Amino acid sequence: MSKHLFRIAPLVLLLFGVAAMLQARDLSLGELSAPGPGLWPFIVASLLSLTALVLLFIDDPADYEPWTRGTVGIALGLVSLGVFIVLFEQIGFLVPAVLMLLIWLRLFAREPWRWAVPLAVIGAVVFHLVFVEALGVPFPDDIVLGG
Amino acid sequence: MGIMDGLGEGFSVALDPTNILYVFLGVLIGTVIGVLPGLGPTATIALLLPITYELEPTSSVILLAGIYYGSMYGGTITSVLLRLPGEAASVVTVFDGHQMAMQGRAGPALGIAAVGSFIGGTLSVVGLILLAPPLADLAVQFGDPEYVALTAFGILLVTYLGTKHPVKALCMAALGLLLATIGRDLVTGTSRFTFDQVELFDGLDFVAVAMGLFGVGEILYNLEKTEKAEQIKSKVKNIWPSRRDFRDSSGAIARGSVLGFFLGVLPGGGGVISSLASYGMEKRRAKDPSRFGKGAIEGVAGPETANNASSTSAFVPLLTLGIPPNVVLALIYGALLIQGITPGPQLIDNNPEIFWGVIASMFIGNLMLLALNIPLVGFFVQLLRVRAGILAAFALLITMAGVFSVNNDVFDMWVVLVFGIIGWLMKKTGFEPGPLVLAFVLGAILEESFRRSMLLSGGEFSIFFTRPMSGTLFAVMALVVLYSSVMGIRRRRQRSQLPGVAEEELRATGLEAEPEGTAGVAATSGRTDGRADDDGVPGTGGGSTRAGGDRP
Repeated sequence: MSKHLFRIAPLVLLLFGVAAMLQARDLSLGELSAPGPGLWPFIVASLLSLTALVLLFIDDPADYEPWTRGTVGIALGLVSLGVFIVLFEQIGFLVPAVLMLLIWLRLFAREPWRWAVPLAVIGAVVFHLVFVEALGVPFPDDIVLGG
Repeated sequence: MGIMDGLGEGFSVALDPTNILYVFLGVLIGTVIGVLPGLGPTATIALLLPITYELEPTSSVILLAGIYYGSMYGGTITSVLLRLPGEAASVVTVFDGHQMAMQGRAGPALGIAAVGSFIGGTLSVVGLILLAPPLADLAVQFGDPEYVALTAFGILLVTYLGTKHPVKALCMAALGLLLATIGRDLVTGTSRFTFDQVELFDGLDFVAVAMGLFGVGEILYNLEKTEKAEQIKSKVKNIWPSRRDFRDSSGAIARGSVLGFFLGVLPGGGGVISSLASYGMEKRRAKDPSRFGKGAIEGVAGPETANNASSTSAFVPLLTLGIPPNVVLALIYGALLIQGITPGPQLIDNNPEIFWGVIASMFIGNLMLLALNIPLVGFFVQLLRVRAGILAAFALLITMAGVFSVNNDVFDMWVVLVFGIIGWLMKKTGFEPGPLVLAFVLGAILEESFRRSMLLSGGEFSIFFTRPMSGTLFAVMALVVLYSSVMGIRRRRQRSQLPGVAEEELRATGLEAEPEGTAGVAATSGRTDGRADDDGVPGTGGGSTRAGGDRP
């Protein structure tokens, strides 16, 4: 089983392509002489499905990189980005930015705390100054600034 | 407008103090990220796209162009000193450049690369000036079928030439075209694939998609592989090459300029292919090919000249036909679209300040790079102390804040994150994001022209083959597909036979040619992250970029 694991990628693409073809058909294909809104999506979705189908059989397993412990780290990093976005919407930029930088500096750069904390705080403040004060980007109300 | 008038206007635009500042910023950022192994020009340009909203169209293209050709200079420095290409087009420089450094000739290697790049870049600008206006005049007569042919040709060549696996790339291009259809259909007003989400009515934002796939995706992928900062041992002195060095490399520089120019104009071309081709050419021409790989100065001068020449000439198809020949140019194309300017044959007439301003800025930029590089090599080398993890943390925060600033919409941040995950997974599974983004950018034009052609012809596909221009293009496309399928099958049969000179060298040194515009660090498969090493699995990729071998 595990040696066929790499076929998941083309399979997902194939399912995606077929789903898009069905959706496009519902949009009305029209005629070739008077193309409807669904015709073009239908054509490209067919191309997607066709290539995915070919890949299901001919794809080279060597193209697929193994999952390592580094991968787990990346996944954690991604979760932290998701949390950042949620918090950003709720309590503004500064606190989530410091937290995110802290996590990344500890997790990936392996900075000791005595460097990570000041770097994160200074970084967040500088970005706040650049984006909010200098460029005038309306970030959500910031809990630190009493918004 | 004549060339002289045009250049006059161009220099008056480019010499404007603000624009001089952007040329300088562009080439400086370009050199810096060329040196830094975790960031390539595509990722950087993607990350900076939101900033271009704030700038004038001309300034934004001047800035982004500077980053592109500036990165070609920067990548050299780490190739020579550390055997670690900072950017994909400098991979071949490793062979002889690093050898020269080991023989205590790092200075002349960097010096000749800077001089060659300057000459290649400048000659390429001249070529751009001469070739672009007539090409644009020709393209003005293009109708919808020609645009279908041209766009399809561009996407096809990028998928066939610039990638390891054409079927995978084609699959990604199809996905890109499909994603481009999300949103309201411009002709009938029907919502397509929006799933009743208001945010999707205007389609996916190009900036968010590009920032996700290239910015976040690349950063994550490189982070998984990069090792920590390195120390430079060899000292750099006597940068200015000797008279003998110049004599030895003059031929290579001349040939590299011409080769790079033409390979840059071709769709699917760019710095990576040009530098590989130039290295192969120099080695074949040499009286004593065994010198190559042991510190032959031609092996540095030729490829470095060629990659810089091609990064300039790649602007020809963008500025005249509106077709970006590679991914970096696709991002610049996207930046222009954001500004409400559609690059195409009318650009020279409608926005001469952009066309000539960008060209003039390239003259200035190349001059600045020469001036910057020679005295500041030591400073740039210090940048390598910055660890990839720190770089990634700050780059991601800029991405998130930057993409929010485009529409002041948190939804775009989620788009970036989702496409970041997709981009990272694509890299890990051997699917390249380049064709996807290129197709995504060109999708709207392709669909529009296709539908208008169909209306025009009453549903007959023959319209694409009976008109001379589009007929020729489709014929060439068919040839390309046929040729590369045959070659592909042949190579599959005789795996052991290695196709090109440069590719042989690549394998011998354990390097790989990465796609255009990426950070070159992933190219060093032997050097992996300390954590990944725990599991004893260095980066395993497929073969090298196809194009190096497909070139005759």
